[in-house]
Amino acid sequence: MAKNLSIQVSHHRLSGRKRSSLKFLLGLFIAVAMFFPMYAVIICSVKTNGQVLSDPFGIPQPFDLTAFGLVLGKSGEFWGFLYNSVVIAVSTIIIVDLFSMAAGIALSRIPFKGRPLIYNFFIMGMLFPITVAVLPLYLQLRDLGLLGTQGGVILAEAAFGLPMAIFLFTGFFKDVPRELQDACQIDGGGILTFFFKIVIPISKPVVATVSIITFIQSWNQFLFPLLVLDNSSKFTIPLGIMQFQGQFTTGWNQVMAFITISIIPMAAFYFSAQRYIVAGLTAGAVKG
Amino acid sequence: MSLNNKTIYSVKKAGLVFLLITPAFLLFLLFVVVPVIQAGHYSVYRWKGLGPLEQFVGLGNFFRMFGEDIFLTALWNNLKVVILSLLLQLPVAFFFALLIGRKRFPGSMLFRGIYFFPYILAEIAIGIIWKFIYNPEFGLPTMIASFVSGGETKIALLGSTEHAFTAIFIVIFWKYIGFHMILYIAGLQNVPDELEEAAIIDGASKLQVVFHVIIPCMRNTIVISVFLSVVGAFNIFDVVWAMGQGGPVHSTETLVTYLYNFGFKRFAFGYGSAVAIVIFLICLVFNLFYQKYIVGESK
Repeated sequence: MAKNLSIQVSHHRLSGRKRSSLKFLLGLFIAVAMFFPMYAVIICSVKTNGQVLSDPFGIPQPFDLTAFGLVLGKSGEFWGFLYNSVVIAVSTIIIVDLFSMAAGIALSRIPFKGRPLIYNFFIMGMLFPITVAVLPLYLQLRDLGLLGTQGGVILAEAAFGLPMAIFLFTGFFKDVPRELQDACQIDGGGILTFFFKIVIPISKPVVATVSIITFIQSWNQFLFPLLVLDNSSKFTIPLGIMQFQGQFTTGWNQVMAFITISIIPMAAFYFSAQRYIVAGLTAGAVKG
Repeated sequence: MSLNNKTIYSVKKAGLVFLLITPAFLLFLLFVVVPVIQAGHYSVYRWKGLGPLEQFVGLGNFFRMFGEDIFLTALWNNLKVVILSLLLQLPVAFFFALLIGRKRFPGSMLFRGIYFFPYILAEIAIGIIWKFIYNPEFGLPTMIASFVSGGETKIALLGSTEHAFTAIFIVIFWKYIGFHMILYIAGLQNVPDELEEAAIIDGASKLQVVFHVIIPCMRNTIVISVFLSVVGAFNIFDVVWAMGQGGPVHSTETLVTYLYNFGFKRFAFGYGSAVAIVIFLICLVFNLFYQKYIVGESK
């Protein structure tokens, strides 16, 4: 019996190794296929336009950086888009973090009448898509004089980021042990002391999660800026890509250089914080 | 504590609650709740977005919508994305998770990164990249077809009313598969090793382990992934917009591109709002159904 089992186990281990190299090969094959579009962009951004047209997926011959020079130089449009994207993303992140942290504290630690009602009111926002509100939102921003301004984009994006952020903050603050609050009160601290000295310092992981989710959403957001911004000097990177592509239908190498440069910030962000991004997005999704 | 003190305390508390909640509440009210309610209001009018709401049409916008072929195409395209995602994308994502998410082998972290990377890129950029790949003059389909046929064969996937939808679904498949894979990898952490080992010792085959041990243990993750996939499918806009704005001849129109093309571009705010309400109702009904029959059972 025991002999039998050990044979079975060693057999299992052997086939396990074989299986694992098969798995590696299959994984590699999928990775190559999945990466191919990225490869195409990068490789075409360092070619002449002639070579892009004649041999789009081959190795660059000669290696040519003119497209990058043209995109980065020339009127400095790209830098403007980058600046606008940064301003909008950073402002949105700050508003979402501050507002939802404050609301989360009240909704988790201070019992008051109507609390579940207000909580559900916010959470409801996670159930339906942004697009439902997009036309009236446009009119709302028009009536408030926010059309054509970055403020309009920031406020709209922040408002739609709130439900998930409040959900995450409230959930996190709820789990802070009651004893900590009691101990703080015994030492003479009010509820505000408790927040500033204890809760906020330990809530870094949630702040990181909320900021990551907000950043990715804001950075890639297309519909809000498309509706709100009318002047290309205020455009964000996604709008810039769209516009640039429309202008240079024949200059594919420049379009590819533009996309490559626009991917760099996100790629750098991703590879330096991969673990947190994955953790943040899955936390956001799983909790949603 | 005297009554007086108590009153002061509760007034102070009320002030604090007010202070903490008001900013989020106002922002949410002004830019999410009010617009949603307004969408409901506008949807029963014929209105260009300027001047008073005068031309009340009742459910006229809705009746008109369901008589429009383009709207029905858009709705059907969204449903096709739902069906294909559930039958194709999610199972393949699950397979990816099983393949690289558990036993570590060299490169498995890198593979994970590569599979997931498309998810964090802007859909607009992705749409343009794939438009390039599909280019009828020099793109991949043309290259493959020319190679197979041995002559010059041009394939214009995005230019064909028949194939453009499939071409766009491939992009959606590519972009979101990594996200669902990551969800499943996270879910796999919750499958107890002992259960799996016990099943193997009992002589269960690989497939049996997957269907009788792993999938039941991951029920909650799968429930969430399906929910996100369905609601996401009714929101597709950017990719379709970048690849052809709903064309050729409206064949790749989705509910949101339809809303944008027919509501916003033509300033038909009443009609567009009616489309928005349909999207809202679909998501709401799905959510209620899901909460009642699926999520409830898994608890």
